Formats: sequence, structure tokens, C-alpha cells
Amino acid sequence: MIDQEQMYERYKRLLAEYMEGKNEETLYNGQLFSRHMIECGVSPEDVLSVHIEIMREFFPNMDERLESSFDFLLEAMIGYGLAYREHQNLRFKQRQLETEIDIAANVQQSLLVSAVPEIDSLDIGVISKPAKKMSGDYYHFVRDEQNFLSIAIADVIGKGIPAAMCMSMIKYAMDSEPEQRTKPSAVLENLNRVVEQNVDPSMFITMFYGLYNEKEHRLYYASAGHEPGFFYSSQKDRFEELTAKGRVLGLDRSTKYREYEKLIMPGDMIVLLSDGVTECRTKKGFIERGEVVDLIRKRMDRSAQEIVDSVYKELERLQEFQLRDDFTLIILKRRV
Amino acid sequence: MNLNILQGKAKDGGELLILKGELDAYTAPKLKETLLELVDIEGASVTLDLSDTNYMDSTGIGVIIAAYKKVCKNNGTLIVQGLTPRVERLFDITGLSDIITIEDINKEETR
Amino acid sequence: MMMKNAPSRVEIHNEWDIVRARQSGRDYAKELGFGNVDQARIATAISELARNIYLYAKPGVITIEVIDDQGKKGLAITAKDDGPGINDLRQAMEDGYTTSGGLGAGLPGVKRLMDEFDILSEAGKGTKITARKYLR
Repeated sequence: MIDQEQMYERYKRLLAEYMEGKNEETLYNGQLFSRHMIECGVSPEDVLSVHIEIMREFFPNMDERLESSFDFLLEAMIGYGLAYREHQNLRFKQRQLETEIDIAANVQQSLLVSAVPEIDSLDIGVISKPAKKMSGDYYHFVRDEQNFLSIAIADVIGKGIPAAMCMSMIKYAMDSEPEQRTKPSAVLENLNRVVEQNVDPSMFITMFYGLYNEKEHRLYYASAGHEPGFFYSSQKDRFEELTAKGRVLGLDRSTKYREYEKLIMPGDMIVLLSDGVTECRTKKGFIERGEVVDLIRKRMDRSAQEIVDSVYKELERLQEFQLRDDFTLIILKRRV
Repeated sequence: MNLNILQGKAKDGGELLILKGELDAYTAPKLKETLLELVDIEGASVTLDLSDTNYMDSTGIGVIIAAYKKVCKNNGTLIVQGLTPRVERLFDITGLSDIITIEDINKEETR
Repeated sequence: MMMKNAPSRVEIHNEWDIVRARQSGRDYAKELGFGNVDQARIATAISELARNIYLYAKPGVITIEVIDDQGKKGLAITAKDDGPGINDLRQAMEDGYTTSGGLGAGLPGVKRLMDEFDILSEAGKGTKITARKYLR
């Protein structure tokens, strides 16, 4: 706290000095002093009250109307003082909330992070960035003893905390899947029932689920309304959409999912993404899916991790460093 | 961005909502309020006109899904019309086009 | 001016009554020796309380009285109504939550303006708020 008397004296000195000389230096000192008063939590009406008292001291025969004008101003400033203090308190609360969210985000991160397996035949790159502090995107890799790799990428509608809480539910539902390998369509059908039962009607989740057979280099996959990824065929030197049809999770309890299959040749690539990648909004409008493909193509000779990192950086820059939606990009490259 | 919701009567006598602008996380709550109230009646019949909806994201899809679920419970109908190619793609990907009635509208007719 | 030892009681039915309550509070504060800023703070607090009654729970009563708590002199303001009551007191006392006006209004504002603040409320029965300010 600032000493009331000290403040009075210092203000009086500065004010007197200014009324004498009207010089800029005094004004500058006044500004520094006001900053100090703000730091000490002095309210605007307190400053004004000091000002009025000093004026009365300086001009004992002040015009009565002038004097009452000060009282009027004081009354008006009380409201501003209140608003100022409420604002300060809200700022304090905001900082508290932010700390809480930071902790929650850390908890979520530790849930989310799925180690990328080291596989001789596949080069895997992943990047996942939340738009806000917490993410509604989810991915995982699980490899079993028979050299099957399961890959999941999911996107909970919306973003921020509600999406993140819903995502945690998906994570647990996935973890409680039976140990042995399950067909992608069966995994989605099971999750669909979980989501349908547990989630608010306007909440839904999209998911792509794939199972990669490392011996035969076949990808079995199914999609629950997820933004389609891409398949790059090295033989044709062409990107095509990794089409898979299926309803979003949580829409209809009895939904069945169709399973697809693709043979992956050396040099081929599978690109999986969340709609945060394709919904990038730049100054020129939405980024086209074709542009995302171009960004990948330009970097194709690099490692999968280098590609996703670099594509993210480029898209982040195009959006002037503001992500509108959670961003997840996964690339699997069959080594040559 | 903004979303304007105009309410009127559809040709089949049901309710008609014309959405003009962008349907995203910021504007979806506005539609949710209006739409969910309309479909919350036994046998409700509601048509959504999206010909002037120049942007829709997954939050918008969420509202339509919530309305669809309510309509199913209330034995009503929900029709969506005038999908722009971008929105149509969103309906296709999410599988909504299989279960929600989508009608083409002749632009000339509405003018 | 006669010494105001007896409490002043202002019934709140309309906006004029808000002004009367303020005026009465200011007179008491001035006579007790509160400075200009504190007079303005007390008047503002009374305004807020009286306005709450006027907007949501009229009629009600604002009582202003001089207190002497073991030599600590001050002013106590009581706002009492038989209105709908406040369901969620915690929410009503929270900054940033107010149904009338923006930042700085409402009960948290009154609490800040005064030294002590106490509120009792029962849904359907009414609300009693007591706020005190002491001379320094």
C-alpha cells in the first residue's frame, strides 16, 4: 500500500511544479507517478480526491461553482473506480483459471501422447497442435506382437475444454478395447455405441481407424465421417483421396461401418489429417485440399516427421499464426 | 462473422428457416436455440434452407444432428435444401446425407 | 441541522425514493465527518442497493443509522425487501455477473465501497443486506 500522506505530498509537489512551469518533464514524472499509484492499487477517485483537496488548499477562495464541479466529477469517478477494481479482480481470476487450464492441458497431453513406434518398413511422422490450450483431436498408434499396427485419428466436434473432456472419454474407450486385434469396422461400431450413449446430442466425433499388416503391407481401414486422408501412389506418382464412407460416431446407434483395404507399395504414402488442416482460413479464403497436397509433394523427399513439421509451419504462417481449429497431421511412408 | 436466420413457412406448410451467412462455433448457438425449439413438437416439420450459407463447420453439423435426433424422437421431419458444394461435401463425409432428406431447390423458383 | 441519532428509514417505490435514500445517507455521512470520497462511496452504495430493490423487489426499505462499535464510529445501511430473493448468492456476489449494467455494478460493487457487508436471502421470501462503513 502507498502511504496516504506521502502520496498527497508528492502529488502536491508535482502539481505545483507543473502549474508554475508547465513543462513536459513534470508531466512525464506525473505519468511515472500515476503508474506507481496504479501498481499500489490506488483508485481513480482517490487520486481525484487528493487533487480536489490540494486545489482547495491552493485556492481557498475558489469560485463555489468550480468547487462543486469537482464534487460532481468525484461522484462520476466512483463508478469508474469500481469498474477498475472489478476489472483487476477479474484479471486475477483469469490468471487463476489459466493456471488451472494449463494443468488440465498437461494432464491431457500425458493422456494424448502416443509414442510413435519404430518400424523397419514404415517411416511415420506426426504433429498435433491444439487451437487453444486443450485439444479435441486424438491419435494413437498401437503395435501388437504379430506386427500389426493400429492407427487411429479422431476429431471431437468443437474445440477447447468440452472437446478435450470428450476426447478423454474416447481415449478410455479405446484403451478398454480387447487386447487382440480387432477389425477396424468393429472398433468403430463399438465406439459408436459408447459415444451415442454418453455424449450430448449435438456433440459428435469423427474417426479414421486403420490396421496395417506389416508382413503383407496392407492397410485395412474404416472411417466414421472423418475428413478423408490421401494416398500417394509412387508408381503413378499421384495423390488420391483415401475415400472411406461412414457416419460420424454418436449419430445413430445401429450404424455399421464398411471396411476398405489398400495395398501399400514401397514409396507409397498415407496421409491422415483432422479438418483443422483443411479448414485453414487464410487471407485469400479457405485453403484447398489440393494446396495441402502440393505442400506435401514439395517436401516428399524428406522424412515423414520433417514433412509434417514443415507443412504445419507453412500453414501456421499462412494463417498468420492463429489456428482456428485443432490441427493433426500424420504421414506413413513405406520405406523403399 | 454473422448469421441471419429468417423464419417463414415452407411450401409443405411446415416451418422454414433460411440461414444467411456463416454457421460456425460462434453462430451455431443462435441456430441451436431457434431450431431445437421448432423441432421440439410432436410431428414437427422443419426445412432448413442453406443456399445462402456460405460457410459451415462441424459445429453447424452438430446442431443439425441434434435437431435430427429430436425429430426422430418426435416423429417429425427435417429437410435440408440448397446445399452449396462445400456444405454438400461435409454432409457426404459425415454420413448425414444418408439419413437426412436433402432437397434440391431451383434457385429461380425462390426468387 | 439536528444531530441524527435516530435511524432514517426510506421506503423504495420509485426512482425518486432512490434519490431520497442517497440524500439521507450523504447527510448522515457528512455529519459524522466522512470525507468527500467516502460520502460519494456511501451514496453510491445506497444507490445500488435501492436500485436493486426498485428493479427487482419493490417495495423495500433502506435504513441508515449511526453505529458505535466500541468507539469505532460509522454508518450502517440496511436494505430489506420481501421480493423474490436471490437464488444463488455465490453467483450474485461474483464479479462480472450482473443483470443490470456493466462492470462495477451490483452487489460486489457495494461490498467494495463499504467496509463490511452481509447478506441474507431466501427464495420467495426476500433479502436483507447490511453494509457498514467506519470512520478512519
